[in-house]
Amino acid sequence: MRFLEKKLARFGELFAPGKPLEKFYPVYEALDSFCLTPGTKTVQAPFVRDAVDLKRTMMFVILGLLPCLGMGVYNTGCQILLAKGEAVTFASCISLGLMKVLPIMFVAYAAGGFWEVLFAVVRKHEINEGFLVTGMLYTLIMPPTVPLWQVALGISFGVVIGKEIFGGTGYNIFNPALVSRAFLFFSYPAQFSGDQVWVALDGHTRATPLAVLSNAGTGSRAVMALQESGYPFSDLFWGFIPGSIGETSTFACLLGLMFLLITGVASWRIMAGCGTGLLVTAGIFFLLQGPDRLTFFSLPPHWHLVLGGFAFGAVFMATDPVSSCATNTGRWIFGFVIGILIVLIRVVNPAYPEGVMLAIVFMNAFAPLIDHLVVERHIKKRTELMALRSGGV
Amino acid sequence: MKIIKIQKGRDIPLKGAAEEKIVSLPLPQTVAVQPPDFHGLRLRPVVRIKDKVLVGSPLLEDKTDSRIKVVSPVSGIVSEIYRGEKRALLRVAVQCDGQQKALRFSRYSLKDISALSSKNIIGQLLAGGLWPFLRQRPFARTARPEDCVKAVFVQAHITEPLAPNLDFLLQGKEEAFQLGLDILKKLTSGKVFVCCSPQARSQALTEAKGVEVFGFSGPHPAGNVSTHIHCLDPVRKGDVVWYLGAEDVLRIADMFSQGQFNPQRTVAVTGEGASTRLYYQTVLGVPLRHLLMDPFLDEQRFLSGSVLRGTDVGPDGYVCFYDQQITLLPRGGKREFMGWLHPGWNKYSFSRTFLSSLQKRHPERHVSLDTDYHGGHRAIVLNHIYDDYVPLDILPYFLVRAILSGDLEEAERLGLLECVEEDFALCSFACPSKFDVGGVIRRGLRMLEEEG
Repeated sequence: MRFLEKKLARFGELFAPGKPLEKFYPVYEALDSFCLTPGTKTVQAPFVRDAVDLKRTMMFVILGLLPCLGMGVYNTGCQILLAKGEAVTFASCISLGLMKVLPIMFVAYAAGGFWEVLFAVVRKHEINEGFLVTGMLYTLIMPPTVPLWQVALGISFGVVIGKEIFGGTGYNIFNPALVSRAFLFFSYPAQFSGDQVWVALDGHTRATPLAVLSNAGTGSRAVMALQESGYPFSDLFWGFIPGSIGETSTFACLLGLMFLLITGVASWRIMAGCGTGLLVTAGIFFLLQGPDRLTFFSLPPHWHLVLGGFAFGAVFMATDPVSSCATNTGRWIFGFVIGILIVLIRVVNPAYPEGVMLAIVFMNAFAPLIDHLVVERHIKKRTELMALRSGGV
Repeated sequence: MKIIKIQKGRDIPLKGAAEEKIVSLPLPQTVAVQPPDFHGLRLRPVVRIKDKVLVGSPLLEDKTDSRIKVVSPVSGIVSEIYRGEKRALLRVAVQCDGQQKALRFSRYSLKDISALSSKNIIGQLLAGGLWPFLRQRPFARTARPEDCVKAVFVQAHITEPLAPNLDFLLQGKEEAFQLGLDILKKLTSGKVFVCCSPQARSQALTEAKGVEVFGFSGPHPAGNVSTHIHCLDPVRKGDVVWYLGAEDVLRIADMFSQGQFNPQRTVAVTGEGASTRLYYQTVLGVPLRHLLMDPFLDEQRFLSGSVLRGTDVGPDGYVCFYDQQITLLPRGGKREFMGWLHPGWNKYSFSRTFLSSLQKRHPERHVSLDTDYHGGHRAIVLNHIYDDYVPLDILPYFLVRAILSGDLEEAERLGLLECVEEDFALCSFACPSKFDVGGVIRRGLRMLEEEG
């Protein structure tokens, strides 16, 4: 390690004050602390510190995303082969998938990283590792058919408008990956509406599961309609359906969820809130089904869990600690309302087939208000309790 | 004894506790009182270099209330009046002559003491230099004699890492302790609370009469004064409570029964860096060198107090006024290859992001920590972790936000008056963004104090 330390120190001299690369010090700092822990020492109490830092925390979110990425790569290739009608082998799925996913990921990291570094240099702050997560999340919610220039445009908008103008990671109001996606969604509805499937093969069209249900008219045969269109429950659960890269597999999301909960990186309350909100609302619709009601009403609630981007959104997007609520009660409410909104947009909104992204971005905007109300209630309860306790027990 | 269970918080099982054995030390060559220890007092020296002083002779007095004095713990000659930047008074040192001649104050028999009025008691505490041992909440500053106090808290339980066992120190001192408590009772119209460990065995605590004895079980900060006050008699706007350490109760008793200032202080030498770890009976303001038998290792940090709350005084420093513990901590700062990917079988963390969290939490397993930061400063991202380490009915994240945005009114409504920075030491410890939560709280309290 001494060798690396010396090399880095010598390289770092180029970035010292007064040297030509002084302005790019954040880049050096990022590289340096990527290779070696900073090694700074405490100067005031508390003199000992926990071994965890933000790099490691963010690293663990990325580890949690790996099942979704792996599944996404496999499935992207698999869908192409299925659409072509060719034989599906593991190796060909992976290689085809990598050819589609890697360029998207590369462009997302490169374009987003450019803005991240630019802002770090101009505003003289450290390059924040939160960007690594944003880039990965963004890649996983891209359709595999997306043109690469749109990838670059979307992440640029998300990083600059969604995050940096608020002051960078930790100060953003909206989830930057979702802001990017929403920007593309409204700018290029032809490619992003979600009515037609995203299989990376020219000329292939087929309705998505949510579009199948939206277009099914009235009646009570939602499950049958899905199955007839080639979407059985198991395929939806394991993720062998066309869709955005990382969102199709509920199973992979469950693996990520378990990892995030075991390591304690994400808040379980938001996820639980999302699940409860979704199931309760879908349950109410299920009870209201009838021959003259929309077919979507008759979809059993648990099907909602595996449809569209719900699992991915609830596990990885809604739980972003910066843009969600920061009180425990608030987290429950935040998640619960997201669950409700998702079902409402899916079932009774004729404009958009899927509502996960919109529901989360919408609730991001309301998170501070929810927190404010919860904190006010806390203060009120606290004042009463203090008055009660004051003067001895 | 009534038991109060504290759920939130966490103990850091640090290596290097002191063995429960008290060793009496001879007098040190010099001792020092350090004005920065006394928050809320503006002290000026009342002695000059080479002045002769006795035990209990005033060295410093408060500029706003000259009745409040800080006195010499030894007899001898004033050897140093040290000022730092902007002529701030940092230290007054006294060279011991070894005779410990003491200044005499009025002595009272037990019967006389019970007849004393609170005015007499306050007068004697001020004259005898015992006043600075009484501190107040809010703001954790030295008490004001004219305040109307609603309760007095005696801290007989410290839960900080490697903290001295006060129950052990009080064993066999029940008479003096009871006398001290009786005197304290006269200072308040409310109650006197003695807060100790639920396992306390010393009769001084278990048999204390006329006061409320509470056992606080659970992890740190179960022993913090803020936790005690919050659970038993919370401070609202306009309220004042006083608090003091258990050993200082004995000191107050001695002032009345013997008529002189008792300068004794028991200091626990702790921390992995110290080779002999014992309790030493010595005097207030003792230099660290006097307590450490071994030649110094360079790679150490010398803290007066615990790792969570202490001050780095260096090898030539003196034990701070209120501290009963010194900690020798290994210096950190070794750079590691790709720490963010390290499996971390031997890393200590509250989070579950290292393999070490799979190891069973064994009561005998102690960890070795140094002063490494383990990361760089970032904005707060994980805002849900603070809640687990603050047992007060407070939302730490929102309190910090209110202070940072300068909204003191909101901060006060969120409970700023109830806490001091030490209550958030575990938050600063655990924060992955390495955010100095305690520092923000301190800043908020300062601003609030200045506003009046």
